[in-house]
Amino acid sequence: MAEPMLRLDDVRLVYNRGRVDEVHALRGVELSLQPGEFVTVVGSNGAGKSSAVQVISGGARPSSGRVRLNGVDVTNWPDYRRAGLVARVFDDPRIGSAPELSIEDNLALALDRGRRRTLRFALSGARRRLLRERVARLGLGLEDRLHDRVGLLSAGQRQSLTMIMAGLTAPRVLLLDEHLAALDPATAQRVLALTAELVTEMGCTTVMVTHNMDHALRMGDRLLVMSRGRIIHDIPHAGKSGLTVAGVVDLITGSGDVVSDRSLLADLETQEAPK
Amino acid sequence: MLENILIDALVTGLPLIPVFLGVYIVLRIREDFDLTVEGSFALGGSVAAIMIAAGIPPALAMLAGAASGATAGLVTTLLSLALRLPVLLAGLVMNMALFSITLRVLGMPTVSLSGATTIFTAIAPAPGRAADLATSLVLALIVVAILTAFAVFLKTRLGLALRASGVNARMVRSQGVSDRGMLALSLIMSNALSAFGGTLMVQMQGYADVNMGSGIFVAGVGAVLLGVLFVNPSGSQVIRIAVAVLLGGLLYRLILVAALRFGLPAGDLRGVTALTLVVAVAAQAYLAPALDRYGIRLRGWRRRARPSSPGESHGVIPMEASHG
Ligand SMILES: Nc1ncnc2c1ncn2[C@@H]1O[C@H](COP(=O)(O)OP(=O)(O)OP(=O)(O)O)[C@@H](O)[C@H]1O
Ligand SMILES: [Mg+2]
Repeated sequence: MAEPMLRLDDVRLVYNRGRVDEVHALRGVELSLQPGEFVTVVGSNGAGKSSAVQVISGGARPSSGRVRLNGVDVTNWPDYRRAGLVARVFDDPRIGSAPELSIEDNLALALDRGRRRTLRFALSGARRRLLRERVARLGLGLEDRLHDRVGLLSAGQRQSLTMIMAGLTAPRVLLLDEHLAALDPATAQRVLALTAELVTEMGCTTVMVTHNMDHALRMGDRLLVMSRGRIIHDIPHAGKSGLTVAGVVDLITGSGDVVSDRSLLADLETQEAPK
Repeated sequence: MLENILIDALVTGLPLIPVFLGVYIVLRIREDFDLTVEGSFALGGSVAAIMIAAGIPPALAMLAGAASGATAGLVTTLLSLALRLPVLLAGLVMNMALFSITLRVLGMPTVSLSGATTIFTAIAPAPGRAADLATSLVLALIVVAILTAFAVFLKTRLGLALRASGVNARMVRSQGVSDRGMLALSLIMSNALSAFGGTLMVQMQGYADVNMGSGIFVAGVGAVLLGVLFVNPSGSQVIRIAVAVLLGGLLYRLILVAALRFGLPAGDLRGVTALTLVVAVAAQAYLAPALDRYGIRLRGWRRRARPSSPGESHGVIPMEASHG
């Protein structure tokens, strides 16, 4: 088998070690993802999904264990140093972009991700054309508002922009942590479609955390179920296609965890009723 | 009378514009407070004064002065990062330390430049008003060059990273920019600018004083707020940023000079500075919304009208010292 793009070896993460509020957020996570593999991750609140994403992006340093990206041990690399390999979309649309800057400045910032920030102009004619073309693909009319401050955009527009920014430099690994959570259903559908499109196009290894079991089943080719800091189920594509939303919920609740998705009941009704 | 006030405001205000630009970088772009600029202003001025008094060419002395400020900014950064001090506290410590260092540099509380060759020496023989006009022209050229260079810098890839770094450190890091690096860059730049302003000031007034930086930070905040009130640049409007600093700084000086000319004792000037600051803040917070109700718009206000959310706080005065 080829060298995995992402590998976690017995990764443990402890917050507030030695204090009364000590939390073992990750308790030995093992994971190996091939180039281009797309996994979805589910689990109840506090299962450690965001912690795992943090450890991969470099936002948190594991207490023990190793993180390897493309064969390189990056355990001790800070997040900004990994940014050339790893792109990340946050759950809160306000985190992924700078509200005070224009749309084109935000895009230009992402265009240089992982490269040295030099004294060359951030926006040249050629770059503007490229950015305009990328943004036009969203179909939101943002290509005519490149000078507008990002703070003026809606949550959905902003998250769409963040997705475009993530894709500008063709990252090797894309991390999506509940990136649809703040969006209304229709907008979420649109951004989800954009996600699928970008991932296919870039062929990047993708980790998508979600509380939407339907999305977890429809997207990607592998499903991870996390509970209490561990991956308790690792379901390959074949096993996934046979699963239902109720089945995934059973996997999570089987571990004694409570499923956290409020929309789940509605999902269950629409999916299970016809049978 | 009016002409005198205007020329006085230019001659005494222009040397401060680089300082105010430095305050702008930290206050509006980084959303932080750095008191080091007060010490850097005096240090830069003193380093330049000693060198100029010793007969070294003024251009070289000014470069050395700016470098001393840059060094002070670097030390503040290191203090802040190594000891995990908020920039505000690190700057306060540095401000005190720099007083002693500046006194050592000067060797005495004040050093006169009379008889030494400064950038203004060539125009000194001109009669009163003409000399003042020529002085402000030289200063204006230097200041415009600095503001232009700064605006161009902000347009570069590094400058863009700096502009993005203040508000949203997580976002900037996820785009591959070290926010510690940007903190260092901003403090080094702002203190170099402040020290450079000090080198202009000592040459303009003809002496260096160990206390010359005291109060200049608050003056800078007042000037920046005034400029923002009238021009209100967003993070992407770099020319407006330069204009805001220039306009705010000169307006602030105009208020002070006018107060003096109308017979206010010099000791009350700090009170006027404080009042300017309060009025600028109040105008943003209260006056503008009130005027808007009657259809009169101050530029500085519009975007504050919308309820601001935590991720988008772009209030003029940050409530928490951002610190990584
Ligand atoms: N910065 C932090 N400091 C202390 N504890 C933390 C921190 N971040 C997370 N935790 C704790 O670590 C555990 C795992 O949290 P994590 O955010 O990884 O869960 P999650 O699976 O993403 O949950 P959710 O579905 O709610 O997003 C939780 O108990 C949480 O309280
Ligand atoms: Mg989470």
